Amino acid sequence: MKAFSGYHPLTLLIYFLSVLMTAMFLWNPVIQLEALLGAGLFAAMLQNGKETAGDILFYIPLFIMAALANPLFSHNGVTILFFMNGNPVTAEAFIYGIALAVTLIAVLLWCKCYSIIMSSDKFIYLFGRAIPKLSLVLSMALRFVPLFKRRFHKVRKAQRAMGMYSSKSYTDRLKGTLLTFSAVTSWSLENAMETSASMKARGYGLAGRSNFSIFRFAPHDFLLLAFNVLLMLGTLMGAAFGELEFYYYPQISGSSLSVPGLLAYVCFGVLTLLPFIIELKEKILWKYFISKI
Amino acid sequence: MEILHIENLSFRYPKCESYAVKDINLNICAGEFVVLCGQSGCGKTTLLKLIKRELAPVGEKSGEIKYNGTDIKELYDRASASEIGYVMQNPDSQTVTDKVWHELAFGLENLGLPQEAIRRRVGETASWFGIQGWFRKDTDKLSGGQKQILNLASVVAMEPQLLILDEPTGQLDPIAAADFISTLLRLNRELGITVILAEHRLEEVFPVADRVLVMDGGKIILNGRPENIERGLLSLNENHPMLSGMPGAVRIYNMLQRRLPDIFNPSELKPRGECLLTVRQGRDFLEEHFKGEGQGDVKPERQEEPYAIEMKNVWFRYERDLPDILTGMELRISRGELFFLLGGNGSGKTTVLNVISGLNKPYRGRILIDGKSIKDYRGNALYRRKLAYLPQNPQTVFLKDSVRADFVELFKALEISRADYEPKIEKISEKLGIEGLLDRHPYDLSGGEQQKCALAKILLTEPEILLLDEPTKGMDAHSKLALKAVLKELKTEKMTVAVVSHDVEFAAENADRCALFFDGSVISSDVPEIFFAENSFYTTAANRMARRLWKNAVTCEQVVEKCIEEAGKRRKTVGEDGNKTCEKI
Repeated sequence: MKAFSGYHPLTLLIYFLSVLMTAMFLWNPVIQLEALLGAGLFAAMLQNGKETAGDILFYIPLFIMAALANPLFSHNGVTILFFMNGNPVTAEAFIYGIALAVTLIAVLLWCKCYSIIMSSDKFIYLFGRAIPKLSLVLSMALRFVPLFKRRFHKVRKAQRAMGMYSSKSYTDRLKGTLLTFSAVTSWSLENAMETSASMKARGYGLAGRSNFSIFRFAPHDFLLLAFNVLLMLGTLMGAAFGELEFYYYPQISGSSLSVPGLLAYVCFGVLTLLPFIIELKEKILWKYFISKI
Repeated sequence: MEILHIENLSFRYPKCESYAVKDINLNICAGEFVVLCGQSGCGKTTLLKLIKRELAPVGEKSGEIKYNGTDIKELYDRASASEIGYVMQNPDSQTVTDKVWHELAFGLENLGLPQEAIRRRVGETASWFGIQGWFRKDTDKLSGGQKQILNLASVVAMEPQLLILDEPTGQLDPIAAADFISTLLRLNRELGITVILAEHRLEEVFPVADRVLVMDGGKIILNGRPENIERGLLSLNENHPMLSGMPGAVRIYNMLQRRLPDIFNPSELKPRGECLLTVRQGRDFLEEHFKGEGQGDVKPERQEEPYAIEMKNVWFRYERDLPDILTGMELRISRGELFFLLGGNGSGKTTVLNVISGLNKPYRGRILIDGKSIKDYRGNALYRRKLAYLPQNPQTVFLKDSVRADFVELFKALEISRADYEPKIEKISEKLGIEGLLDRHPYDLSGGEQQKCALAKILLTEPEILLLDEPTKGMDAHSKLALKAVLKELKTEKMTVAVVSHDVEFAAENADRCALFFDGSVISSDVPEIFFAENSFYTTAANRMARRLWKNAVTCEQVVEKCIEEAGKRRKTVGEDGNKTCEKI
């Protein structure tokens, strides 16, 4: 359903790393705004209206708090707006605060998109390539956690129905929780014996284990990766020429707009908008196909 | 061609006096479907594990096991892992990974197959088993039946020649179990995989098996075609305990033969001298030999008693956005009644018990326990000498290292002193026959033993109302008889018992009243004789065979009673007509 999540995990990892690293380490207001815009549009595409509205309600206060915190504690800068408790509050610190808040929220939103797109099996696949044993352990752990939780609740319920460990006394309840925890742990260990038997029965431990995944590196992955690399080159070139430098203290100053700088902005802008464009294209195509039927 | 050859196999566990399996001689041909049955603890699992080298228990072993002519000790590792497949009982603990596709690929990864080969095999297997719909799901999100099909599929993906299954349907409901068995049968018939299946529930597998093995005390006591098993058991022992675990048709045939020996000449029966196996055969047989008079006896309705449990227009759902599980449920259970609530899987039967026991709160409607609203039971008052609930998995009842310690813990919570509780423990252990189990770890007990100990713990709270969730799940016929005796005794003590179950046969034998739960409420409720007679699909095997003769005969015993009654009448009229020889009935 989500077009972007259909890409190969490696392509996706490289994409997210490029965007996140650039947004975090290139201290440039345009870059930061682009990162925020891209993340916001992408997140809105991934979620339904209700979730997006909830997000906005959550991020706006966070934005205001982050933006206001900086001028309260940092008194650098030359343009003094007013004095508070005998301390100067400067325009530079204020703007720096806003930039900080933009970056913070952009990074948070990108991480959110990352967690939606990179499901556990993609993660395991990526790290499994490096350490095959680890990927199996991770996969087993991910299987184990919900099982443990379910069993815990079952035991808790059974005990409650006997009227055990559910009195008003706090220590009684705590004791019940601890006992349940230890019982479910030994239950799980007991089960682990059976799991290991099942693994052995299916040949675990034979030499030359291979690693299967359902992911395939398709042509569109190559295309996205190539785009990604090109756009990153364009962005980094701007940075390398020093055209993206920007200072907030003591006075706001940046390099004047030049060709490499402009190129970098365009490249990064396109890069951050890529997932949104891909999702949008998919949606339009989908609508188009439906309308044809 | 012989695929498995076992010669003089004996095995005993370390520090054990007796042999777990003894003097086993067995040949299994390629492509056979073999059913292995026997009571819990007869050595089935040990025998099956010995065949699968990777799982063979440690101990003293003699004799030999040959797979395709090679001793299994000398098989190549890869061949041994892939060609002999093994499926266990518990659907949860066999699953290794978190995704369905990964689980399917797990064995193939172990064999070191290349990516493309695995992709192909996994895809093929998924399509054959019809699991492509949940291929990318988390294994934890599957139902028990789906999990077990997945476990089977991930073993079959490795292309085994011989498939060994140890009570694979023990934890499944009847519909899922029948599904599983039919998949297994397809594997055998379409792919020619040899199957050795250990089972308690024989109704479906018995007629389709090529061969049945019966084990007792570590030995194979019978080995033959399913038609001949009944005769074999009979010749070993008139009242062999395994007979009660046979399918309905076999039991009726068996009882008729024993109880009408003077007029029952097996050589004149159809099919000639062979035991009946399926419902159809049983029905044809009964209709050929009996005319059927009257409808059968119906238990009289119980006298009106005050209600122990009353549900009035109860609505419940787990979360706001989820659909209703109970939709205006009405239910009345009288004091001292043994009530069975039957219904399909996932219909919400367990939820009914959760709501009655106050673990889940309905959002509309009233529940009265002993005439008092459930809301008026403050704190733990409901669970003190009033109501007790045994969940589906008896293991959840225990928290301590021994059964006795768990009992003691309960008494501490009930604030009963040692001098008072010791005799109580003694009494209940004697009643349920668990004296020998008190000092064992609860997890080390077998399913049936666990069930008994859990029931004992629940009963120690001295409830007036007992709720049981699927008490016969995974039980062999012997344990079911034991449970039946316990239920009978509880009834003499005037305890109200409400059971939620899939097991129609067990309900027909034991219930005072049965009800069918569907779509969030009870849609029919009656004494079992009427309840099952009115149902066309949801009824016992005995009733399906005899319903056109005696509508209200629902258990094998009732059918046999009716047959004897009719034979007796006929004999009388024959006698009056003059001393003709007994006519064939």
